[in-house]
Amino acid sequence: MRNDDPALADLSEVADEIAAGRITSVAVTEACLARIESWQPRTNAFLRLDEEKALARAKAMDAELAAGRRRGPLHGVPMAHKDMYYRKGELSTGGSAIRRDWRAPVTATVLQRLDAAGVVELGFLNMAEFAAGPTGHNVHHGHCRNPWDSKRVTGGSSSGSGASVAARMVYGALGSDTGGSIRLPASACGVVGMKATYGRVSRAGALARSWSLDHVGPLTRTVRDNARLLGVIAGHDPEDSTTSEKPVPDYEAMLDGSVSGLRIGLALPSDGPASLDMEVGTAVQAAADALGKRGARITPVTLPDFTALYRAAEVIVKCEAAAMHRPWLEKTPDAYANQVRTRMEAGFFIPATQYIDALRLRGHFVKEFLATAMDGVDAVVLPAIPFPIPTIEETDVEAQGGPATLNMVGRFTGLTRPFNTLGVPALSVPCGFDSNGAPIGLQLVGRPFDEALLYRIGHAYQGATEFHRRVPV
Amino acid sequence: MDDKTRTAAGIAAGLQGLTYDDKRLAELAAEVETLNDAVRQAAAKRLTFDDDPFTFASLLEREAKK
Repeated sequence: MRNDDPALADLSEVADEIAAGRITSVAVTEACLARIESWQPRTNAFLRLDEEKALARAKAMDAELAAGRRRGPLHGVPMAHKDMYYRKGELSTGGSAIRRDWRAPVTATVLQRLDAAGVVELGFLNMAEFAAGPTGHNVHHGHCRNPWDSKRVTGGSSSGSGASVAARMVYGALGSDTGGSIRLPASACGVVGMKATYGRVSRAGALARSWSLDHVGPLTRTVRDNARLLGVIAGHDPEDSTTSEKPVPDYEAMLDGSVSGLRIGLALPSDGPASLDMEVGTAVQAAADALGKRGARITPVTLPDFTALYRAAEVIVKCEAAAMHRPWLEKTPDAYANQVRTRMEAGFFIPATQYIDALRLRGHFVKEFLATAMDGVDAVVLPAIPFPIPTIEETDVEAQGGPATLNMVGRFTGLTRPFNTLGVPALSVPCGFDSNGAPIGLQLVGRPFDEALLYRIGHAYQGATEFHRRVPV
Repeated sequence: MDDKTRTAAGIAAGLQGLTYDDKRLAELAAEVETLNDAVRQAAAKRLTFDDDPFTFASLLEREAKK
């Protein structure tokens, strides 16, 4: 391994070392626990940590390996997940006060698949209340803090997933993404996050924000790690009728293909609500140039006007969230943070015809996107977050609502939410640091089910750069 | 209270069994108007009788690179 501290190794590296018998699962679990002890007070990334259970599982994984049984490509690797993946009989808060003491009746399909692959689960991670919020604020469990600067936000809603992976407390984590909630924390914390195609990963046993727009996916330190994780969790699930029956490619085996000759569209929005800050634009341009040096053909592309698409997504989220939260909104409205509750309430007033039309429009939006921005290119690159990462205080809607704060928070998802409506895959990869020392994320968007190509491009980019190797201190 | 806020009040109390103060009802009426207008205009330009919301998933499958 490159590092003396095994916690600093990558997920795939440590998994391969365990498999080869050069390090034990217990040793890497202890290394992660030591990192958590050091970083939890600074980040508040974990909501629950179960050291005893994790070490017992690590010992069991080591014993199995010694007996000649390797469960899969993640055998003995410590992870933790956003606190919205159900494990039967265990607490699952969804980042809320309402479910603070609630125990799940089932185990999420993705956790079952990680269990089968040999993962050691360390605990569950902080998140925005009910996965509603792009910053990482949480009034019930404490805000999650960015490991690069504890005054700054992590991005959300998978705040603890981004922070824990960035601070090397875990090798990988599951997040979920309804409007950017994997890619935003990946970008803000300097890690890799994949929102795969809608239907690629099962949502069964995951707390819903919006059934039509929710995507389950991994956050990791490298693209290779992410490819390995997606390969384990992706695929059809009879428990989720929206999952695709398409075979899951061997993403990791396809990483090393060349990007030479690939046509990559570069989108740098210059106006509208998602217009770019200059230093973010410069970093993304530099990332495109780096891919160009590897032989990719970079061409400027213009994104379609996302206004209608964005509004349609809002209609879908608000209606679905209002429906599922109705009993609690009626009985215990004060148990929600104000901004979480108020964002859902419009759902009670939107006519069903508008909700259905928003769903019917999605197919048209996909066709238009493929015929415009994706026309003649294999992938599009653009920023994940169009501005430098703000502070927790600047974006604290609960403490200081007001037009400026609301506007800044609203702008977070300007370049991510459209791809939830479209259902196409989108990957965030670290591509630099702003003048405050906070990470900048490059977003890669592809055709439906073309995750392998996004991984290939992201992997080639990481082969040419070192941003993903930097570790917060 | 303007017409739209009054309509929102009617939906809240009459159809949904929910109670909001007048200020909040006015905010909700404005928010819903923006969202409805955007979807209605987008739908008017694009949707036909045969557009089925469930074709979205099959479209993703069909548009995947062969």
